[in-house]
Amino acid sequence: MVMTLYHGEPTGPSLTVLAALFESGLEADLRAIDLAMGERHAGVIPLNVETNYSVEGEGPVLVVDGEPLCDSVFIGCFFDDVAPGSGLRPADPYLRWEMMAWCRWVIERLAPGVAALANRAWTTPRLAALDDTAFAALTGRIVAQDLRARWQDTREGTLSDEHRAASEARVHEAAQKIEDRLAERDWIMGDFSLADLESYAWLAPMRELLPTAFEGKPRLAAWLKRVAARPSVRRALMQARTAHPVHGFAPGPEINRWG
Amino acid sequence: MSGDLTLYHWEPNANSGKPMLTLVEKGVAFNSHYIDLLAFDQHKPDYLAINPMGTIPAMVHGGRLMNESTAIMEYVEEAFPGPALMPTDARDRWRVRWWMKYFDQWLGPSLSMLGWNVGIGPKVRERDPEELKAAIDRIPLPERRVAWRKAIYGLFSQEELAESTRRILIGIDLVEKTLAQRPWLACDSYSLADINAFNSAYFLPISQGQHCNDEKTPHIMRWLRAIYARPAVKTTWAMGRTAMAERIKIFEGEEVKTW
Repeated sequence: MVMTLYHGEPTGPSLTVLAALFESGLEADLRAIDLAMGERHAGVIPLNVETNYSVEGEGPVLVVDGEPLCDSVFIGCFFDDVAPGSGLRPADPYLRWEMMAWCRWVIERLAPGVAALANRAWTTPRLAALDDTAFAALTGRIVAQDLRARWQDTREGTLSDEHRAASEARVHEAAQKIEDRLAERDWIMGDFSLADLESYAWLAPMRELLPTAFEGKPRLAAWLKRVAARPSVRRALMQARTAHPVHGFAPGPEINRWG
Repeated sequence: MSGDLTLYHWEPNANSGKPMLTLVEKGVAFNSHYIDLLAFDQHKPDYLAINPMGTIPAMVHGGRLMNESTAIMEYVEEAFPGPALMPTDARDRWRVRWWMKYFDQWLGPSLSMLGWNVGIGPKVRERDPEELKAAIDRIPLPERRVAWRKAIYGLFSQEELAESTRRILIGIDLVEKTLAQRPWLACDSYSLADINAFNSAYFLPISQGQHCNDEKTPHIMRWLRAIYARPAVKTTWAMGRTAMAERIKIFEGEEVKTW
């Protein structure tokens, strides 16, 4: 099995997948790309239906024997399926249910909120600096129309007060959810798992943009340090190529269309 | 076995149908507890005492509550013996998860928006307005309250409805192309992805008959009929109590009402 991982800066979904790979002990050729400059669509990575229409948006792509895989939690499950005993998922079916339901909450509730705030703060200036021709060339290669529209919105910095408030509420909710969850346990599932990586990768970048969400939460603060200290996460952070890797977002999942 | 396993579900349709059909396919006996979604039984105190989130479906096994229909499906697959509904190859398993998320988060919300707009919403609005208001006020999750208000009163904008239609047409195209390459949605064997998708897709030849039919989408029609032919589908659909469940007879060549 030959694996190549095309990843962005170690933040958001790229951080989850890099750390999950290192946790699994599997080998993959690492190729850093600039997701915010649309390099996922530049023709080097073989994209297919699944990668073009990924709900996660501009996340990393793992190419396995020529087939591209995406969506960080499912790539994590893939590593665990290939390397059972990696510790990425609990062995007990009920705990697995709990972990998948937790990750679904992060994917569907937290991630779109974080993506909206992070892209507005850090990606909008980069895209606004591109001239129209360069931006049109970038987005012209994107197959999914709604993803292309999110790129356009990001470049224009469109973020309504309502969307911002809803996004910030998600960050506060997640911070509280983790604080509550960590009563009498060190990790979200009891033992360390993919749920810690996925939650950390989306929530930790918000410390800079929404510090109030983290105030007065000692268990959350201790957990953030605990995750950051894991060798897999430290090794993932060493893949950074910029001064502020945490800023390396690109248009991500949309907010649930039902509200 | 059935003594300690109870599934709380509505019609065999969308989310409720996913764990129903999975359990029946596995040959797992369970107590079936019908919750009338159109009477808002899911937000009444009796049910909230079991599932505080007030969502359907929910499953209780050995005294432990589970919600999130797709995560429940994976639990059923792992916790009980019976025919395998997950492939063994890791990449095939990744594809099963990807397609379930595509239906859950990208295509499903669009199908459900049009379903509520055209069919379920008008039916619910025949009820006493005061009763409806009280029903909405009882919904525990704030985001679900907003979603239900939109659904009940038909508050979708033309723009939202047009986007849902656009996505459904793309979804039909992607599923058709995928099923032209392989017999089942995610891999070469019938899997949880087919069970998940069928619970929404069985309705496409009815609601989108001009776009989804033997002439335009032969592979989708072949796939839907192959799933309909399974004995588990007959058993599951016989658990429906409304005219909705009758719509499945389209696969026997019967004329069925759109709503």
